[in-house]
Amino acid sequence: MAQERILVIGGGVAGMQAAAALREEGFSPLIIERSSKTGGHVAQWDRLFPTQAPAQAVIDELSAASQGIESVTDCEITSLTAADGGVTAVSAGGDRYEGRAAVVATGFDLFDARLKEEYGYGMYENVITSAELEQMFRDGRVAMKSGEAPKRVAILHCVGSRDEKVGQNHCSKVCCITGIKQAIELTEAVPGVQVTNFYMDLRAFGNGYEELYRKSQVENGVTYIRGRISEAGETQDKRIQLKVEDTLVGRPLRMTVDMLVLLVGMRAPGCCSSFGLETQANGFFAPRDPYTGTVASSVPGVYLAGTATGPKTIGETINEAVAVARRIKRDLGE
Amino acid sequence: MQAGSPWFFDPFVIPFTIGVVWLFCAILYKWVKWFVGLPSEDKGLVRHNFFSAKSLKALKEAVLECLIHRKIWKTNPMLGFMHMSLALGWFLLIVVGKLETSTYIRDAVNPPHVHVFFRYFFPEEPASYVRHFNYALLMDCLLIFVLCGVALAWGKRAYSRMMGMRRTTRHTPFDRIALASLWLIFPLRYLAESVTCGVHDSGSFFTGGTGDMLASVVPMGMLSAMEYPAWWAYSIVLGVFFVALPYSRYMHIFTEIPLIFLRAYKVKSKPEGSTFDNFQIQACSRCGICLDPCPIASDLNINNIQAAYFLRDRRYGHLTSQVADTCLMCGRCAEACPVGIEQGTLRLSSRVAFAGQTSLYHAARYEFLASAEDRSEGTGKVGFFAGCMTQLTPGVLRSMEKIFAAAGVDVWWADKHGGVCCGRPMRLSGNLPAAERMERYNTELFRKHGITTLVTGCPICYKSFTQEYKELQKLGIRVLHHTQYIAELIAGGRLKTSVVQASYAYHDPCELRGIYAEPRYVLSHVATLANPESREKDRVHCCGGSLANLTLDTAAQTKIGATVVRNLTATGAETIVTSCPQCKKSLQRAAGNDQIRVVDIAEVVAEAV
Repeated sequence: MAQERILVIGGGVAGMQAAAALREEGFSPLIIERSSKTGGHVAQWDRLFPTQAPAQAVIDELSAASQGIESVTDCEITSLTAADGGVTAVSAGGDRYEGRAAVVATGFDLFDARLKEEYGYGMYENVITSAELEQMFRDGRVAMKSGEAPKRVAILHCVGSRDEKVGQNHCSKVCCITGIKQAIELTEAVPGVQVTNFYMDLRAFGNGYEELYRKSQVENGVTYIRGRISEAGETQDKRIQLKVEDTLVGRPLRMTVDMLVLLVGMRAPGCCSSFGLETQANGFFAPRDPYTGTVASSVPGVYLAGTATGPKTIGETINEAVAVARRIKRDLGE
Repeated sequence: MQAGSPWFFDPFVIPFTIGVVWLFCAILYKWVKWFVGLPSEDKGLVRHNFFSAKSLKALKEAVLECLIHRKIWKTNPMLGFMHMSLALGWFLLIVVGKLETSTYIRDAVNPPHVHVFFRYFFPEEPASYVRHFNYALLMDCLLIFVLCGVALAWGKRAYSRMMGMRRTTRHTPFDRIALASLWLIFPLRYLAESVTCGVHDSGSFFTGGTGDMLASVVPMGMLSAMEYPAWWAYSIVLGVFFVALPYSRYMHIFTEIPLIFLRAYKVKSKPEGSTFDNFQIQACSRCGICLDPCPIASDLNINNIQAAYFLRDRRYGHLTSQVADTCLMCGRCAEACPVGIEQGTLRLSSRVAFAGQTSLYHAARYEFLASAEDRSEGTGKVGFFAGCMTQLTPGVLRSMEKIFAAAGVDVWWADKHGGVCCGRPMRLSGNLPAAERMERYNTELFRKHGITTLVTGCPICYKSFTQEYKELQKLGIRVLHHTQYIAELIAGGRLKTSVVQASYAYHDPCELRGIYAEPRYVLSHVATLANPESREKDRVHCCGGSLANLTLDTAAQTKIGATVVRNLTATGAETIVTSCPQCKKSLQRAAGNDQIRVVDIAEVVAEAV
């Protein structure tokens, strides 16, 4: 029997793991990646919660596992159709890819922080996103635009998550723990820096998260204030003035910081509305059912893995990527 | 009973007479009660203006609106004709009928039923007929005129789109009784008159002609037997209509007239409410013209909160806060209303009434404002008040800074480092005392700094300052929205701009109703405008984010905004531009975040400076 071709749309951790697992199941996967290299968002990250292991370690392991698997880069799939026991994906450039089935591992987009104009992202030079902070960690230098090391940093949770005002009603799941992790890393990177997290709820749900939350307070002196920042302004010396209500005390609060980090959430990418698959209220692809069909889509032959169906941690994503290969094997075998 | 008794009595006129007497008493009772209850300053206005040209103007308007229905004609000629034929036709039937009877009866006693049932009492034209004007012909013409209106009303009920209306009002039981009898009055009059004319071989072309036809097909004995019951039936439906009228929507007939006069005397509804509100509420005929323009009806298919239903619920005392609070106060209904009812103020006074029932209303809130520090900056005579919403869109604030600097204006910044809300959100939710405390703080701040011009970055504040801040208006400070101010800077040559290479579609904010020329003037100087002569204008569609809405959730608001985005992107423009920070945010959300950009007019100008 000739090896059956399975299209893996997206070359992030979900796509890489799915491709590796598909090969183990005896298929011939093809990774189609939008950007110029695989690895997705994780490849842009410095260290991972909750153990602060380097993100590169995960990428290296997955690269090794998917070594030799065929892949195309710089190719954005814009349409996906399933018919007669096969699927066809067409790229923006008009290239057609055919396979027996497809794994949609298209992941997420980061929320565009400019849409929360009141925080001044893109306008005030010392307002950055969590992704940009991670880049600073990678560069080994956390600094304000002026080049100085910040003395006070505020981290704002839920930017573009659980926010009806920007049409993002869902929780992005990983930001709480990312905020805790980044707060710790800030204190490690910039000695003496004072870090304050502004949150509305802290959801430290995973193994080791609650411990990390406690550690950040006890060992790193990170403070947490319950209250969403209502607006930010820039002072003459380019620092950021915050207006916020401390909702535990019930009092308005003003604070001036050197740097404001926005923990941007995950939003559904454009392909979620162009692939012709069912989507959920949050815009991400809808699994066939939320209990036993989490990696199957509403269309036979099209499968889902990772954050294509909503915010997930890396561990959960990897699990789904393994499960999707097994599911395809079972479905196509019948 | 025939001529001889000057009373022309016959038992069948009793239902009609009871109806007329009842109607007269009911209207008199209502009018007197509402007049007596007017606040003393309103009574003063009436006294002061009664013997002035205003009364004559009001009389003219009453004729144009109550009889001819000019405003309906302007927007929907077919509907205008229907209303006119019923109102003017009936009015003329009464007037001409009265003249007719006065011509024949040379007696001081001439009760109303004589001309209403004239044909019964004068089945054949009196001998003097030939010497007089041909009333019978005129009355027949008028009857045809009214019957046309009745036919159109029937048609409208059956298929409203024929009259250009997608939605018609759902009626109350009293409305149904009144409506059913109204629909029968003129056909029955036509029948009764025709039968009499047939029996007596009299009448003009219409009733006489129909009578001849009836006489040719119906045996004379049967026709004679039909005559008396037909007149009874006509009298009964008239009586039923008059008895039901004060409880029904037809009360508008007798309420709109005093309303027009009171309005001419500058009597207005107040947020606190007054008995004048009754003149407005009962002047609503529930014609349904306000239903189609309502964005909550067209975008959300919620069909129980529109002006007609709100006024109905309030009139009959079963208004719920849900109905009062579900409104964007965008003003579309008031714009469409042929009676010119102050929908916004009435809605507000209902909200005030509901808010007044809560303890929060009377609580000593915002007392700290009296001793709040002055956080303003600068010494200029031109003040800039950003307002809460502009604080949340710092892009607008930055653009204004750039524009002021480019024009060399010395600015006093009212709230750059934080300020106090203009109070409009509190006011719109009915919390007047809280809003007044904010009003006092801001007025005092503006007075203290001696500014001559006040520019706002937000139409919501602009509306507050120009319409609510009574003390501010006395200070003689010119209040301008930033679109108006920028237009003045450009027109005066103080602001030099280049042209930005992008095409924009402009969205008119509801709160900036009436200010249509300035933003288009400004944009035409700095960019390409895809909708320079927007057909929107007076038909401004709310962005969905109105502060007046107290119930609709974000999903519903987004749906309303999506209509605006759809209409504006259909012009082919790349970017939507507006002049309200709230509209900017709501439209951006409705546009699906990153697919299309929404900017403020100040940002476009700042780019071109």
